[in-house]
Amino acid sequence: MEFVLHLAPHLLNGLSLGFLFALIALGFMLIIGVMELINLAHGSLFALGAYVAMVVIAPGASWWGPLGKWYVAQPLTLRYVLALVVAPVILAFVGMLLEICLRRTYGKDPLYGLLFTFGAAMVIEELIRIVWGSAEKFLQVPQAINGAFLVGGLIYSKYRFFAAASALLLILLVWLFLERTPYGAMIKAGAHDSEMVRALGINLKRLRLCVFGFGTALAAMAGIIIAPIWGLRPHVGVDAVIPAFLIIVLGGVGSFWGAVLAGVLVGLAVALTAVYVSEWSLLSMYLLLIAVVTFRARGLFGKKSILEV
Amino acid sequence: MAARHMSRRSFLQKVGLGAAGAGVAFYGPWKHNHVYAAKADKPLLIGLTTDASGQYGNSGEMERRGMLMAIAEFNKKGGVLGRQIETIHIDTETTPATGTRVAERMITRHEAAFLMGAVSSGVANAISLVAQRYGVIYLNSNSSSPTESGKDCHRVKFVWDGNGTNFGKATVLNAINAVGKNWVLFTNDYVWGHETSKSVRALVTQYGGKIVEEMVIPVGTRDFSSYLLKLQQIKPDVVNTAVGGDDIKALRAQVGQLGMGNKPAWVQNQQDWPDVYGLPLSGVFGIFGTTWYYKLDLPGVKEFVAQYQKMYPGVSIKVPGNVYYNGYMAARELLRAVERAGSTNNIKVIKELENLKVPAKDRMQHFDAYMNPATHQMQQTIYLATANDEAAWKKDNDDLFKVLAWSKPQDAEDTDAPKACKLEPYEATPSYEM
Repeated sequence: MEFVLHLAPHLLNGLSLGFLFALIALGFMLIIGVMELINLAHGSLFALGAYVAMVVIAPGASWWGPLGKWYVAQPLTLRYVLALVVAPVILAFVGMLLEICLRRTYGKDPLYGLLFTFGAAMVIEELIRIVWGSAEKFLQVPQAINGAFLVGGLIYSKYRFFAAASALLLILLVWLFLERTPYGAMIKAGAHDSEMVRALGINLKRLRLCVFGFGTALAAMAGIIIAPIWGLRPHVGVDAVIPAFLIIVLGGVGSFWGAVLAGVLVGLAVALTAVYVSEWSLLSMYLLLIAVVTFRARGLFGKKSILEV
Repeated sequence: MAARHMSRRSFLQKVGLGAAGAGVAFYGPWKHNHVYAAKADKPLLIGLTTDASGQYGNSGEMERRGMLMAIAEFNKKGGVLGRQIETIHIDTETTPATGTRVAERMITRHEAAFLMGAVSSGVANAISLVAQRYGVIYLNSNSSSPTESGKDCHRVKFVWDGNGTNFGKATVLNAINAVGKNWVLFTNDYVWGHETSKSVRALVTQYGGKIVEEMVIPVGTRDFSSYLLKLQQIKPDVVNTAVGGDDIKALRAQVGQLGMGNKPAWVQNQQDWPDVYGLPLSGVFGIFGTTWYYKLDLPGVKEFVAQYQKMYPGVSIKVPGNVYYNGYMAARELLRAVERAGSTNNIKVIKELENLKVPAKDRMQHFDAYMNPATHQMQQTIYLATANDEAAWKKDNDDLFKVLAWSKPQDAEDTDAPKACKLEPYEATPSYEM
């Protein structure tokens, strides 16, 4: 009983971490699924989203004169909610711009796309460094979700629960969008058979543009939610892109619930190993991947390849 | 004239013999007596082996700025020994293997006279192994594992930062007496973290405390929630953290969110300025060691800060910290040693550095500093600091620290280091003059 009581908070913590990992992987999964492109700029877009949100929340009042002063005087909650909407929208446009540049690589060796997004990642990171500097930044959150609360003698962060709940909500909203709307059906069809989608008269170019924009907006949203936990620095995206890639492979490329389940499994693995064999905590996610891929090369929910017997 | 025929086999033999001969000629005399022609006309090249990316990218940038300021001061007054000083910088990426490659390249291809820079002890050790092989003087400006001036010391290497033991000595006894005996160690999983925790463990035990748990934290950890939950289940009196770079930034943010900054008591062995600059005051908690603070009320400090701001307007870190200071001091003292030696001969410069004594006023610290000739570590004032009062911080957001106390170098000296450090004899160190 004592062991269960000791373990319970860690399981809960692992679950919340898992939702955050799944959130990071969500946009990455959509882009891989529809465009068969590994977007190595996902992490940098994650970081850029958080930086843009930081500006929306607390712009330099002097920039905008009296209007700026009036804006900064508004409640933090209002500015935070605005940032949650505005920053992903701005990033969606950045993503669309990136996709337009990326078009020249379609139909060529996949390495071109990979190199392009790798280059884009470096450019975005340097731009962040130039604009905001390399020092640590701080993304303010409203007082209502800041601080801590006590349950069973243990202190929990309010923000962490807010972040995990937001991640869960976003996962459900994206799922509803994909499952219950005609646009979602187009995206899924595009992921399944893009040539057939084109044959049916759907503008594949526009579909890809929208998916890239949507995936980038999700990356930005993940960045805004996670930045108050991880901190904000130009290279924070590197910390996001590696687990995102790992989760997609673990869950099965193109599988929505595969990515969510893989995120949760990675969260639990990292959280529990941190408690019992702390030095293995980061390694545990890679071991999990090796264990799954050894027995199921296509990941947990990946589609069976025609090459498989 | 008869045409001479050369078979493929004989051609290869000749080329092989020629190459071997050239190799003997190159490696033989060069290794021990590397003297450049027309050296007086040649600018003196210093290789800056500082990180520009990875865990310590920010700190690397800061220490490089400090070095460049010292070099600019010398160049302004005509250089050293009448020669201008030039620098070359290659990013060591906070990776030991890159450190090795960079050092090798700077010495053999760029013919750097001296090397300086490192925040990660793993990188510093890797660079110093290469530097010792060539006899090139290397200044470890900011990495502070006790091993750097202990078992991994070298004749060519000089360590400018305080190490884990120095800071531990300044903090452990005070914390045991003031807070309690049950300690938890947070150890970053690389050489500095392990060696610092080892040193703190020994001190805690020596002073009658007890280590109830050690949590090893992989480099690159961003989520500390599991560690913090476990910490609450253990309920220690004190947590000693040997965690650096981006990891400590994330840890501080998360401890701040939980409001756990006051209980348990936190001791951060050493707090580098670039790792804390920009955090809200809630993220600065516990007590921690440092070698310098920009608001020390000592002669020269204000001028030093003004000089930094003049040289680097518009940089995101608006005031210099300990990392910048160490970089500056290391470069300045090296160039002064060259001037005193009247030569760039490495053995002469090494002897000058080994006998280095710097008055407190010149160091902008409270006590005179000196180089320990047996370990090649600069012995200096160790400061204990904590978060500033909120009112003072609100007036000036850069003013994050409140300095609580300072220890004499002798009181914080790492007495185990001379036993562990075995410096190579002078005659086993290749000599050179640039």
